[in-house]
Amino acid sequence: MSIEEQKSQINGISLILIAVILFPFAFLLMLSLGRRWAYPMLLPAEWTLDNWQAIWGGQAGLGESLLLSLALSLSIATIATAGSFWVSKQVAYHRNRQRWLVLAYLPYVFAPVILAACLQYFFIRWGLSGKLGGVAIAQLFITFPYGLIFFTSFWTERMLSLEQLIATLGGNTWQAYTKVLLPVAKGPILTCFFQLFLISWFEYGLTALIGVGKVQTLTLKVFQYINEANLFFAALASCLLVMPPIVLLWLNRRYVFSKVI
Amino acid sequence: MFLEAKNINKGFGAEKVLDDLSLQLAEHEMLSILGRSGSGKTTLLKILAGLESPDKGMVLLQGQDMGPLPPNRRNIVYLYQEPLLFPHLNVFENIAFGLRLRKAPEGAVQKRVAEMLANLELPEQARKMPHQLSGGQRQRVAFGRALIINPKVLLLDEPFGALDAETRASMQQLLKRIAKAFAITALFVTHGLKEALIMGDRIGLMQQGELKVYDSKKAFIEDVETGVQAEMDFWREIE
Amino acid sequence: MRTTAHRTPHTEMQKTSTYIGLGLFFALTAFPLLLGIGYALLFSLGLAGMLSEGFTSEHWQAVLGSESFWETMAFSIYVALVSIGLAVTLAMLLVVRWPRTFESTPLSFFIYWPLAIPAIVMAFLIFQLLSKGGALSRLAFQLGLVDGLSQFPDWVNGQYGIGIITAHFFMALPFFLILYTQMYSHEGLKGLMQQAFTLGANRRQAAWRVAVPVLLRRSFATVVLYFLFVMGSYEIPLLLGSQSRQMVSVLTIQKLQRFNLADIPQAYTISVVYSVMVVALVLWLLGAKKQV
Repeated sequence: MSIEEQKSQINGISLILIAVILFPFAFLLMLSLGRRWAYPMLLPAEWTLDNWQAIWGGQAGLGESLLLSLALSLSIATIATAGSFWVSKQVAYHRNRQRWLVLAYLPYVFAPVILAACLQYFFIRWGLSGKLGGVAIAQLFITFPYGLIFFTSFWTERMLSLEQLIATLGGNTWQAYTKVLLPVAKGPILTCFFQLFLISWFEYGLTALIGVGKVQTLTLKVFQYINEANLFFAALASCLLVMPPIVLLWLNRRYVFSKVI
Repeated sequence: MFLEAKNINKGFGAEKVLDDLSLQLAEHEMLSILGRSGSGKTTLLKILAGLESPDKGMVLLQGQDMGPLPPNRRNIVYLYQEPLLFPHLNVFENIAFGLRLRKAPEGAVQKRVAEMLANLELPEQARKMPHQLSGGQRQRVAFGRALIINPKVLLLDEPFGALDAETRASMQQLLKRIAKAFAITALFVTHGLKEALIMGDRIGLMQQGELKVYDSKKAFIEDVETGVQAEMDFWREIE
Repeated sequence: MRTTAHRTPHTEMQKTSTYIGLGLFFALTAFPLLLGIGYALLFSLGLAGMLSEGFTSEHWQAVLGSESFWETMAFSIYVALVSIGLAVTLAMLLVVRWPRTFESTPLSFFIYWPLAIPAIVMAFLIFQLLSKGGALSRLAFQLGLVDGLSQFPDWVNGQYGIGIITAHFFMALPFFLILYTQMYSHEGLKGLMQQAFTLGANRRQAAWRVAVPVLLRRSFATVVLYFLFVMGSYEIPLLLGSQSRQMVSVLTIQKLQRFNLADIPQAYTISVVYSVMVVALVLWLLGAKKQV
């Protein structure tokens, strides 16, 4: 096969794959703009912007959910990224680092919803059940271990040497962080932030259980509309859920998904 | 004595790394220490710099006990085999780093870094990033970054270990020249016999955590343990 | 394995921060897990909860003796194995056959898009596509393949979990495509394949004897972790599963939220069994990783 043929083959496969990838997004958008979609019809009978206009001020409370989800996920990502950056350093340079890391892997792979089920009693007893604060704490339990595992690979022997070098040059701990460690870690910190944002943003089961349905994040809205068989609003809420990650991707895919596991 | 280490002991678990080691270094003197890898050279330097603490013994600088002082207040700079340049800063800012820590005025920073760059024969590289430099250039930047804060003692841990033979020879000459110009007090650790002889005003041999410092280069050459004799025999036999 | 750096803390401040760090580490990783599993264990043995009447093994007997529990475990493992097996196989085939495709410009950007779809949206999408009233069924009707929705097969909410598997497959496929594309360039596979060619291998041999084993070996830990994610998944089987065959998370939560109070200790018993499985797999995985 000639190089030209190979190229056109690759282009062909690319086009097919891109079409497959874009289909679900187009499908969601179509449903969110539709009305009356009786059985054998391939497309909705009517098209309208009404659903989208109902985001704000409508009965649905979608706008409120969007803001709540954004605030919650941004806070979780900020706290967990900052916290795990510092804590992982203490563990990374510890003699028994390997053993400590096992402790982080366990909650990392544990089903969040089963963790929530087992902890539900304590959340109720401590008055955190059904509260935004309770959901936030529960989400920290699943985002923090991810951050810890993520950052432990950042604290290498080279980083330690770099830090010691700063000390012998006369820098204190604060200067080591602000002048070298944080600037050098900028990429990994952004990646971790986006990843943790997504974990929180996508979370459903744990949020539903600990929030007892009272903390109405976007994922809960999607589920609620599906239960009500309101597929146009379910699609609309799905669109809202999918958009921020796509925007992040648009800004920089290198930082968003450079290390998925 | 300018720098003194007294009866230093250090072990990691059951392994004894430094065994009752003592050493003295006069001001403006460069002492080279020859030793194989694993002989405890690096641990000794790290203890002097304050990056490790000894199990027993003390470090004195100009008669003052260094024990309670953290590394950033000792004014002893430790240089690694790797240059460890800060990847996010250009050559100029890498060299200026110590001055920035001390919040030196901008004018002084510009002037002193420019002088240092000239001294290191690097003035054209000032705006380059570390990854754009050659191995020898990087090591020179690392020297400049250390020297610009006028450290009391410079600890060099096989600084030319990663360089090719030719660059290595020219770097040795450069360091000797700068050492004289800046009247540096330094410990130079190496596993190269020839390098130990070239760099040191005096020479020591480190074996199994113990250090033997020779009164003269002649004494060093004549001691069978240093391996100089074996080396000379080898070249003689070839003739 | 490379030697890991560790520092000897020698100032009081460093010691304090190490202790605080380890304390926080424990508090946010192992502590909630131990607390939860401990409570579940006590509850399952009749030693905690409103209904506790002292130690009893009846809930354990009920769970371990019930067919539906084992069916749930087997179904969870089946779903995870099939969906990941298919995704890994197809991803590897595509990457080894057309390694440069996924690095070519428009696709290397769009290939990340599916990762922006959360599980609950994927479940919704698959439902809208595969259910009896969904898009595929409509298409089949328009093409004259079926005469009405009742004739369309029961892919969603059916016995074989086709909807669940499809959803997980489409979640996993882009993930493994990205992973293997990255590995292909990082592991220097192109060089290794060329080496194989010069040694006389043909395309197929180079792929089977070099590329596939290298990729599988390097991704093994990730595949096992992903297996655990799918096994414990909740939203997708909740929306696409059937009443009679459930996955472990769905069964647990359903038993927990039923009005029949006797089901609650059983929910905790299942949680404990699940925990033991996860802990055992993680310990085994990290132990095996150390030896590599």
